[in-house]
Amino acid sequence: MSASVPMGRPIGAQLVRVTTPAALIALFLIFAAISPTFRTPGNILHILVNNFSLPALVALGMTLVISAGGIDLSVGVAADIAAMLAVTLMEHGSGLGLSLIAGIGGALVVGLLDALLITVFGISPFLATLGVLFIGESVQQLATNGGTPIYLVSNYPAAGLDYLAHGQILGLPLTLWLVALAVVLVQVLLSSTAFGRHLRAIGAEPRVAWHSGLPVRRTTWLVYLLSALLCGLAGLLLSATVKSYVPLSGNAFMLDAIGAVFVGTTISREARPNVLGTLLGVFFFGMLHNGLLLIGWNFYWQQVAIGLLVFIVLGISFLSRRLQTAD
Amino acid sequence: MSSNVLADQAPAFTERSVDLEDRDIRRARRQSQVIRLGSIAALIAVFAYFSAVAPGFANLGNIANVIEQSAVLALLAFGMSIVVLGGGGDVIRGGIDLSLGANLGLCVAVFAVASNAGFSDWLAVAITFGTGAAVGLLNAIAVVGLGVLPLLATLAVMNICAGAELVLTQNTVISTNSPLLGSIVGLSWLGLSVTDWVLVAATVVLIVLVQGTRWGLRLQAVGGQRQAARAAGLRVQAYLAGTYVAAGLLAALAAILQAARLSGSSPGSGDILLSVVLTSLMSTVFSRRLLPTIGGTLLSVLFIGSLINGFQLLNVSSYWVNGVQGVLILFVVAVRSLSTRRGGA
Amino acid sequence: MAQPALALRDLVKTFGATRALDNANLVVERGAIHGLIGQNGAGKSTIIKILGGLYKADSGSVTIDGQTLTHVSPRAIEHLGIHIIHQEALLVPSFTVAEALFLGAEPGIGPLLSRRTMRKRAEDIIGSYFDMMLPRDALIGELSAAHRQIVQITRALLNRPAVLVFDEPTASLVRREAHRLFGLIRRLRDEGTSIVYISHYLEEVQDLCDKVTVLRNGRDVATLDPRDTPLQDIVSLMINREIGDMFPKSAVPIGKPALSVQGLTRRGHFTNVDFTLHAGEILGLTGLVGSGAKEVLAAIFGLAPADQGSITTHGKQGAVGSPAGAIRRGLGLVPEDRRGQGIALDMSVRENTTLASLGKLTRFGFISRRREAETVRQLIARLGIKTPGPDARVRDLSGGNQQKVVLAKWLSAASDIYLLDEPTVAIDVAAKVEIYRLLGDLAQRGAAVLILSSDLLELQGICDRILVLHRGRITHRLRPADTTPEEILAAATGAAGLGESIAA
Repeated sequence: MSASVPMGRPIGAQLVRVTTPAALIALFLIFAAISPTFRTPGNILHILVNNFSLPALVALGMTLVISAGGIDLSVGVAADIAAMLAVTLMEHGSGLGLSLIAGIGGALVVGLLDALLITVFGISPFLATLGVLFIGESVQQLATNGGTPIYLVSNYPAAGLDYLAHGQILGLPLTLWLVALAVVLVQVLLSSTAFGRHLRAIGAEPRVAWHSGLPVRRTTWLVYLLSALLCGLAGLLLSATVKSYVPLSGNAFMLDAIGAVFVGTTISREARPNVLGTLLGVFFFGMLHNGLLLIGWNFYWQQVAIGLLVFIVLGISFLSRRLQTAD
Repeated sequence: MSSNVLADQAPAFTERSVDLEDRDIRRARRQSQVIRLGSIAALIAVFAYFSAVAPGFANLGNIANVIEQSAVLALLAFGMSIVVLGGGGDVIRGGIDLSLGANLGLCVAVFAVASNAGFSDWLAVAITFGTGAAVGLLNAIAVVGLGVLPLLATLAVMNICAGAELVLTQNTVISTNSPLLGSIVGLSWLGLSVTDWVLVAATVVLIVLVQGTRWGLRLQAVGGQRQAARAAGLRVQAYLAGTYVAAGLLAALAAILQAARLSGSSPGSGDILLSVVLTSLMSTVFSRRLLPTIGGTLLSVLFIGSLINGFQLLNVSSYWVNGVQGVLILFVVAVRSLSTRRGGA
Repeated sequence: MAQPALALRDLVKTFGATRALDNANLVVERGAIHGLIGQNGAGKSTIIKILGGLYKADSGSVTIDGQTLTHVSPRAIEHLGIHIIHQEALLVPSFTVAEALFLGAEPGIGPLLSRRTMRKRAEDIIGSYFDMMLPRDALIGELSAAHRQIVQITRALLNRPAVLVFDEPTASLVRREAHRLFGLIRRLRDEGTSIVYISHYLEEVQDLCDKVTVLRNGRDVATLDPRDTPLQDIVSLMINREIGDMFPKSAVPIGKPALSVQGLTRRGHFTNVDFTLHAGEILGLTGLVGSGAKEVLAAIFGLAPADQGSITTHGKQGAVGSPAGAIRRGLGLVPEDRRGQGIALDMSVRENTTLASLGKLTRFGFISRRREAETVRQLIARLGIKTPGPDARVRDLSGGNQQKVVLAKWLSAASDIYLLDEPTVAIDVAAKVEIYRLLGDLAQRGAAVLILSSDLLELQGICDRILVLHRGRITHRLRPADTTPEEILAAATGAAGLGESIAA
């Protein structure tokens, strides 16, 4: 992030940008004070693995998509299709590698369809991916006779799958390494490559991008494929963890990912989607789920509380942004 | 020192450019007309097809049934259309209310719980409408008061509503029975049920409000060009806030019909959200101005409703329904975007 | 003397470190047409925004008809009979003409609209003021800029305002409409309305206004009677220095053909366009609105390809299918719609400058920060772009400096054929001179420049040759030394007849 701040908006701008981190720290302290279990390293790791990793993968893809001026409502479909293909193949005795590759391939088809509708048919991303979401749900219902889960009980590559879900490298779970890899990938793409610059220009001013000769279509294709790839990965990790495929389970990712990206924009001076902000947003949601559970709130109250907290964080940050631009 | 002499002294050319422009307007208008007529033709074709192949589809009783099944969706989609009209068509920065489905679920739960707690029907109805309006107000505060993007604000409110519904119902079915619900299900007039009549009345009232009054016109201005609306002295904020509250009230009305149909509250009402978004956006195809309209929304809802009904009659798996809806919206929007692209070149 | 209709006194307004208004005054007498002129950035639009209640002044007073306002809001001033017609039409694109006219004061019974009355009254009113009909039931979004302007003005007149403020009203009008507008303004004045008239076009101001206030650097430097003051004096008041050397130009040897166009035709727009542009040459292109000149530029840059004909760049012939293809062949377009097509307002000067040339600054797809920073630093210095730094948002720059960023983008891409579409529109005089200097500089370094402009003095001042398009055909090829603006104009309007073109 560059250090030169344009003249004349000192304190207000900083205030907006600390809203989300401040809320995050405050809640962390509150949870830590109430629940001794919450602040153990084991629990923090638990949050990172179980409440953070998979949504983070999806939200990182969403960060790219929203930076490019789009939105992807089909993230759940990509995750689900990947899981469905991989689990079905494994159930029928295929090897782990082939199944995973097929799963990723399935996710990429979803991304391909999104990109096709957006670039070739000129449909707005919201509607295109909404359509794909509907179609994806139908496909899953038809394939599973209305949503019956597929469980892996016997005769599947158990060792490999276990490693995927619980394996460790240098003492850290494999899942976290994959997330770290994705973080680096998306950050480098956005900040240091021509692709990332093009993507942001297309998101900011599509007509200027076209007039400047940027590869608008190619960039759009890549953005949706990358998003689908990350979602497919999340779907595979999810199915490895639960040893099954539950139809339509990926939909839970969608709204959280969108929410995380936009909560993340509040820490950026230009209100842009950014990797750090997205991660903070995802962690914010994950920590809330875990913390509220540990301080004894039941699942139902958790949802109310999360909604309210997000409401308040967004309210504060948008209000101060507005006050400061109102001059 | 500008001497824009050419533009200043071009008498002969004025006429020609005006003529050209007239021709362009006529062409653009013809195109949008073709799309509108095409959409209506597609609608008629679907009706005709089902009438021909699905036994009993064209029965008056069945049609009433379709309307009945579509009423909840239609009322919510009306709410969405009003929000989109006031907020502007840009899905991310413009108006959208993602909390409508969850609001419906919460209102049904509130009604069922209030009813079972021994409140009279009218009190329960009042509490339900109060809940719907309160949720709308919460959206309005976030969007208008705090300036949060509607997509995000209503997303947060959606979570709050869904959570509140769970707290109320503990995620179980709550059966309820009351004279009001009984008469909604039981009474009918001219072959149409109470639900049908509520839908008809709501449609008429909203068409008049949105298309026939200055409030509707001004709402369209607020959504179309906020600065123009402000310059015309309109209280933009009040209009925007009003759309969210109106949507909340419509969700409450839909909730009472839903409670009657299901004899209480059951989890999963929020799933209707995407259909609400779909039908509201689809309605823009029926309008020359490419804006959501009440009539267009009703057409879209009935279209989807008769598709589902026709599938049922033909014994097609209901799992196809979502997919067909998806393909449908993509088809409609692709036709529109491809044709305007060609026209605009 | 009677009370002035409108008096703005000692207005001060600062934005960060910039002082947009520095004790500016504007006093408008009742029943007069009062011109307000000044370069871009002199403070005209700031004054109008303060009057309109869109900005709040740091200090100073707004007095309307003897009544000093404590709080200036759009409603308050409208209530006191002041109406501002903004430069950009404030109309709802999805409205019909009638709806746009009456928004906020719709005829009807109670809350119910009466659409028929509305349409009838709209037609009557536009007919009576402008003696014309707008396309029936057309939506605002379908109308031309000129027609939208007419709706906007008519809308203001509905309120029978005491003071009417026009902000650059003729920018989008053709002559006949402009003349109707002038007639209307005089009629309104004679009926007792006071008019504030803001314009870039000095001839217009001199012709129309009873009084003129000249703004410079946020201050009113003079209020004078334009009929008694020579144009040259008004101009020097505005820019505070002589404008003798407006068109810096040095002779450049003409080099090899850079861009050659043969038989270029796009049905309905232009036919058989032939010309050759050489390295080191500045070639002018002009024509009336609808002459096809703009479309020729669009065809060469691959925005709207031609149906027939060939485009040859540096001896290589081939169709140009997209801007990307054009850029690969060394072309760069500086579009008229700068904010929509030229620059990304919310990206930085650095990002905009290298937008079209990242391929040169990357290795394996990674941007070399060092090389990018160096390129940008050099271009900022070479073009004299006034910016707080390479990371400042382009939105915060003035129009002239934004235009320079567009040029920097193509310089960075090492373009050697520059297509410019009305490059100096809405740019102040000083920045214009700089742009001219830069174009001369480009030519000197061997670039080929094609400039489409309707500013005839500009064309005559900087071009080596001028092509005139009339009804889609090149009818005249002129040399600036042998021609006059009047002759160019005659050619463009078709008054000069065909076939007497000078070979060039």
